[in-house]
Amino acid sequence: MASEATPRVNAKYLDSFTNQTVRILGKVVSLRGETATIDANGSINVHLNRDAHLQLNNAVEIVGKVQQDLSIKVFQATDFGSNIDFNAVEAVVDATHRYKEIFYDGND
Amino acid sequence: MDYGGGYSTTSYGAQGGAGGGGFMGGSQSGSQGAAGKGTYGKDTLRPVTIKQVLDAQQPHPDAEFKIDDVSFVGQIRNISTQTTNITYKLDDGTGTIEVKQWIDADAAMDTTSDSTLSKPKLVENEWARVWGRLKAFNNKRHVGAHVIRPIADKMEITYHLLEATYVHLYFIKGPVDQIKVEGGGDAGEVSYGGGGDTGMKGGQMQNLSVAARRVFQTLKNSPQNNEGLHVQNIAALVGMNVPDVRKAGDELLGNSMIFTTVDDDTWALLEF
Repeated sequence: MASEATPRVNAKYLDSFTNQTVRILGKVVSLRGETATIDANGSINVHLNRDAHLQLNNAVEIVGKVQQDLSIKVFQATDFGSNIDFNAVEAVVDATHRYKEIFYDGND
Repeated sequence: MDYGGGYSTTSYGAQGGAGGGGFMGGSQSGSQGAAGKGTYGKDTLRPVTIKQVLDAQQPHPDAEFKIDDVSFVGQIRNISTQTTNITYKLDDGTGTIEVKQWIDADAAMDTTSDSTLSKPKLVENEWARVWGRLKAFNNKRHVGAHVIRPIADKMEITYHLLEATYVHLYFIKGPVDQIKVEGGGDAGEVSYGGGGDTGMKGGQMQNLSVAARRVFQTLKNSPQNNEGLHVQNIAALVGMNVPDVRKAGDELLGNSMIFTTVDDDTWALLEF
């Protein structure tokens, strides 16, 4: 493993992070058994693992791998409750990539 | 993008002293013991990402890190309880680091359960905030935690990452008002007065470069003896590189605002 970092992304960044492990904070908009859709500046399909317990309409932070079809294979999901300001979350994603020197090694 | 107006008013200023930024040396060294031998001026608590902790440089082995007192957040990946300390492995998405908290034997003896029960629990996969000091041991870095506590409001994570970014940009680009001065060009220069805390006859400061003002403020606000401060110290305090500090120093020397003391590279304020 080249880097332990899991860069924070949203739907807009997925295509530049295929096959990488990323971190997404989004809102759960639909749950269908083993898959779910979350909204993080655009909708993202996620494939859940067994330990993931998503709650509809709550925020969730997902650590997972971006697949070729830009869906996410979830390694870990943490419930972030219902009190999340997504404007601030988007600002963090923006800062992550704008000032990546303090967030991740972006040479690949 | 708008990061929210209220935030930018927080003062991490070299000008503002440690007003918004955190602890000053005095409050820190009490519990730390090892601190405060000549480097106390640097002991401000800095919000950082774990990547910054991992990237922090030591001028030479065994020296203090350039970033030493830190505050950060992280998701607890692992908790391992040892006889003398509890080691937490924290991951904030930018990297992973071990955080050690020494077990206070006296507190442990005090089993009247009041203190142990009321203490919020740290559990794996939950988030925590740490205040601590960066240490290196056997080429392995860890953070000695002064305080580690669980994060109840998840927005604190988002807030912290933005704060770390803000402070990072402060150190590489200077305070927000001074960036505006540089960017604004002509009319911008006047707006510096907003700082209002120079305590110097305004006229004299007006003619100085941003770098010179920062060096001046650092000399003014940093603890020092009558020999003043060495260029290297100033560079570390102000977060600029040495050649830039020299240039700023020449400017201040030229304006008779500072004078050299034990050698050409050690300066003190010429002010009564």
